[in-house]
Parts: sequence; structure tokens; C-alpha cells
Amino acid sequence: MKLSRRSFLGTSAALSAASIAGSFAGGAWAASDTVAIASLHDLSGALDIYGVPSNLCMKVAVEEINAAGGLLGKKVELKVYDGQSDINKYPQYAQKAALNDRVVMVQGALSGAAREATRPVLRKYKIPFIYGSFYEGGLCEKNTFCVNTGGNQQVVPLLEWSFKNLGKKLYYIASDYNAPRNFGIWNHVMAKREGGQVLADDYYPLDVTDFTAAIAKIQAAKPDVVHSCLVGGPAMSFYRQWAAAGMLKKIPIISIVFAAGNEHEVLAPEETDGVIVAYNYFQELDTPKNKEFLAKVEAVAGKNHPYINGEVFGGYSGVMLWAEAVKRAGSFEREAVLAALESSIRWEGPAGVMTTDGPTHNTTQDVHIIKVENRVWSLIEKKEQIPPDTYGGKCNVFTNPNQTDFLMPQI
Amino acid sequence: MDSFVILCFAVVNSVALLALISLGLAVIFGMMRVINFAHGEFIMLGGYATVIANHCGVNLWLSMLVVAPMFVALIGAVAERLIVRRLYGHLVTTMLATWGLSLFLIGAVTAIFGNTTMGVSAPLGNIPIGAYSIGAYQLFLIGITALLVVSSLLALHWTKYGLIARAAMQNSEMAATLGINCDRVYAVTFIVGAAISGLAGALLAPISGVLPHMGAAYVARAFVTVISGGGALITGFLSAATILGPVEALLSYFATPVVGQASLLLLAVIILRLLPTGVSSLWTGGR
Repeated sequence: MKLSRRSFLGTSAALSAASIAGSFAGGAWAASDTVAIASLHDLSGALDIYGVPSNLCMKVAVEEINAAGGLLGKKVELKVYDGQSDINKYPQYAQKAALNDRVVMVQGALSGAAREATRPVLRKYKIPFIYGSFYEGGLCEKNTFCVNTGGNQQVVPLLEWSFKNLGKKLYYIASDYNAPRNFGIWNHVMAKREGGQVLADDYYPLDVTDFTAAIAKIQAAKPDVVHSCLVGGPAMSFYRQWAAAGMLKKIPIISIVFAAGNEHEVLAPEETDGVIVAYNYFQELDTPKNKEFLAKVEAVAGKNHPYINGEVFGGYSGVMLWAEAVKRAGSFEREAVLAALESSIRWEGPAGVMTTDGPTHNTTQDVHIIKVENRVWSLIEKKEQIPPDTYGGKCNVFTNPNQTDFLMPQI
Repeated sequence: MDSFVILCFAVVNSVALLALISLGLAVIFGMMRVINFAHGEFIMLGGYATVIANHCGVNLWLSMLVVAPMFVALIGAVAERLIVRRLYGHLVTTMLATWGLSLFLIGAVTAIFGNTTMGVSAPLGNIPIGAYSIGAYQLFLIGITALLVVSSLLALHWTKYGLIARAAMQNSEMAATLGINCDRVYAVTFIVGAAISGLAGALLAPISGVLPHMGAAYVARAFVTVISGGGALITGFLSAATILGPVEALLSYFATPVVGQASLLLLAVIILRLLPTGVSSLWTGGR
């Protein structure tokens, strides 16, 4: 090979740039006595009902870790970014967190759209992404670890219970976007498995506030149970109109999204009493670990802290599971931490035992079927240690390390 | 039979909702040719006034029927005095100014009450119809909408103020030479329109809850209804609501809600293509 002066200069410049970048990436936390992680949530705008309490849970976790002496001798610093309920902010802040603030982990981006905007950026900069929201399931990506429930972990136990206890005929009413449509497939999967029947799949645009025709349709179909996956402020009208039509006492409602935006506190008890949901965590959970956790939340945010539901609890469990992985790895390096997360990290927290699952990059955990009465949730049934779905073996980062696409459930 | 009654109820309800959210706009746009982009926010403020008054211990009916329209009338009076009055006759400028007002009101309410849903629950219980049941409050809503529309019609055509208002709108110079204070008539009309929008928001609060940006869901439908209705003030938008409402309700019922919404808009486009000055041009001769 003929080595020209120009190509030699070019190559050496690239090499030195790479080594500088490398030394920055590695050296930022190596030299200092703090290590930064990023909280990337909507702290203002339409989605702040999810973002603010989730960010609070991350803060509680970080304070707990630091009070116990930090991680590997370093204090953990929480860098907080406000996504402002604006998708465009997510890639920008993810990039800033990676390049400017040199964080070793990013958590947040709760809505499906925010997650999809953030994921590729963090993949590119090789910063592990902890996803704390419950979701439709089927995300099996090397750089991402899902610590909340995936589709099957909520829907399967809830529908099993519902087909057994409430009746075989189910009516599905949902907001019209990706996640509710994916959950809609699960209805059919479960109906087939349990010998039930899905009478209808009704999808409503997110801004609809008049559900008169919808309620007439449900009444005409005479289901045993209504499965609602209606999301957002305008859709709360459904529950008001359902109760006003006197249906709340007649046909039970089950949901896997109700209460994620604390609907049970916004709506009146006479509009919500009897709604049944399934989450890994709920604030009324009567365990000593949960009492300790709530005391810590109170210490950070005061007595009037927002209700902590299963959606935002991921803010806490995500940081704690990551911290356990860091301890096992003895390092903050991406490869070491991901390898540790893949080696079944077991952590017992307020919601019971959680174990990270290597191949799926999701988390095995307990799920609680709960019912609201006068704005207070009570336990109906606890389903223990539900593993994430493997999507027929396709959800496996060991055999498909380059997979980034979503997997869909098959009927 | 029962299901037919339920379906009829859904259809009538759909017409009534369209009429209810459009009446205030019909008064302001139809009479004064002021495109009030803050119409949705007047509805939103009516809803908030009801919810806040009710949470402060005021009786629900009093909050809905008195507090909300009076509060929004007050906001309307201030807006007319400070903004709209200066821009009569400038269609595009009023549009921009009221759009600004709309953004300001959304921002102000968000800053004060936060970007969360608030609400009161619907009173009156429910009425069983065979195996089905419907909310009694929604029947009340249909009734009060009918009452509002009829009384606006009567007020415009059978009262002295109605005559003066129509005169000032039709030919303000002539009206002025006859000793009518047109500025005053405009102001009062705008305030009445705002009060009706406030009342609409108040009446919707128990079935839909209130959000700072809830107006957006109503303003487009209100405009579609009023513009498809055309020149005849009350009968125009009412006939448009009677055509558009059933189409949306029936298609939502028999097909999907998305088809229902889309058909409403498609039908409005077809109406305006065939009757560019609205449905009411059929009997007013396009005036």
C-alpha cells in the first residue's frame, strides 16, 4: 500500500479524534467523584401527569442510593430534562445528555412516541436506556431495558381473571393509536386461549368527548365486560357518560391504562367505583417495603405528593435495578452494566421481587389485579412472578443482537 | 324497539350538541361577521367557571345556569372593549386578534389551574328504557338546547331589541341615522354571544370534564356547522346541525367513530360546494 502524505494525515487525524472522543466518554466519570444519570420526562405540558411523578420516583431512588453511600464510591447525580410534552425535545435532550452531560444511563421517555424518538439516539451514542413505563410489549433491543410490565404481563393476567370471573363476552373500546391497537390483538389472543369472545374493537380518536353513540353501541351488544383502553383527558368523558347512563353498576369495566393518569382522583367516585385494573404496583400496597418507600417519597415531595401508580413506579424500580446491575458489574461501563442486567438481577422492592430477564431485556415481576372504591384501590388477586413474553422465541437479544423493531403478538 | 329508541336518542343528542356549541358562534359570526377564534375558549371558560364555583360550594345548577354565563359575558365584555371593538369590518385582523386571545386564555387557565382535567359529575341519574338506560342529564341537555334556540329565534324576530340588532347588522349607517347607537348594539350582541358560549361550556362540563385546551375540540365543529348553515342566523345553523349531526351519529354507530367524524367534514364540503352560501340559501335565496 502506498502511503501518501494526505491519507496518512487524514487517518491519523481520525484516529486521534476517536481516541479523544473515547477518552472523554470513558474518562468523564472515571476522574470525578460523581456519576450522572439522566431523567428525561415531560415535566410540563399535556403529559406532565405522567412525567412529574415518574421523575419524582427517580429522585427518590437516587437519594436512597446516595444516602447509602453512593455507587462504587461515587455519588449519583440526577440530570433532569423537561421534554415539555413535545416529541422534538426528546432526541435533542437525549443527545445533550449523552454528549454534553456524559451520563451513564438515561431513563424516561414514557409515551410510545417519546420512546421511539429517544431510542435510536441513545443506541447511536451507546448510552443504556432504561424504559420505566408499562407498554404494549415486544421491545427486545440490546441497548434498552424495560423494567415495567410489557403487554402480556398486564393483559394476560387481567383477561384470564376477567374471562373466568366476569364473563366470556368482552367489548373493547380504545383510543386510536399504536399501543391500544396492539393491546387489542392481545384481547383476541386471550379470547382464543380462554374460550371467550371479543364482540367489538372500537377505536376512538384522542379528541372525542361525546360517547353517546359508543355507549348505545355497547348497550346493544350486551357484553359481560367492557375493556377500556381510552387514554387522555378528553377520553375521561367516557367514564362520566357511562356512569350518567347508569351503566357503571350494570357492566363492569376492566382496563390496563385507567389510573395511569390518576383518573380515579380526577373523576368522582360515583363515576369510577368498581373499575378493575392490573398493575405491578399501586400505592395502597400493604407491605413493609412499600411503607418505607412511601416514607421516602414523602420526605422528598411532602405529604401531598402525587399518587404513585404502576405507570410512574418504574421511575423508582428502574434506577434501583440499574444500581444493582452496576454493583454486580463493578463498573458504569455500558457493556458491563448490560451484561449484569442480562444475568438475572434480583431486587426486592415495594412491588415485590423483580428479576431482570436476559434474553428479552424485560423484567419478570408480580402483577396485582385491583379494584377502585371511593378513590382507594384494593387488591383482588396477586399474580406472582409473571415472565415477559418471548414472542415465540423471537424476542431474544442473544440470538438477535441487532434487533430494534417491535414484535407483534400473533393470534 | 328499545335499541331503536336508544339510537334515536344518540342522533338527537348529536344534533343538540352541535347546536349547543354553535349557537354562541352563530350569534357573533352570523350577526356581526366577526370570526371569533376564541369561541372554543369561551366554552372552556364556561366549563371552568362551573367547576370552580361548584367546588367552592355553589349549587351545581346555579353554577351552570347563572355563574358561568355571567362570568363569560364579563370576559366577553372586556374582550370586546379592548380588542374586537377596534377591529370591526377587518375580517382577517379580527381573526388574528381573537386567535391571539384564544392562545392567551389557554395559557392563562393552564398557568392558574394546571394542564389537568377537572370536572363535576352529571346530576339527575338515569332513565331505564327496556334493557338499556340513558343519562337523564343528557335529556335535560337536549331540552335546554331546544329552549335556547327557540328563545334566540323569538328574541331576534319578536322583540324590539331583536329588530334593532338586525337593523344595525343589515345597514349600520341607516340604523345610525335613525338614532340607533350601533357600537352599543355590537357590544351587547358580542356579550350575549359570549354568554351563550359560556352556558354551553357549563352545560358540557358534567359530561365531558374541563381541560385548558378543550376548546379546540369544539371550535372546528362549531365553525363547520355555522358556515354550512349560511346566512339565516338561527334557522341556518340549526338546519346544518340537523343534517350533520345524524350523519355523524349513525355512521359512528354502524361503522366506526373515525368514519363518523370524517363523514361530517366530507358532508360539509359537499354542502358548501353545492350551496356556497350555506344550507339556508335554499330559502333565503342566497342573501
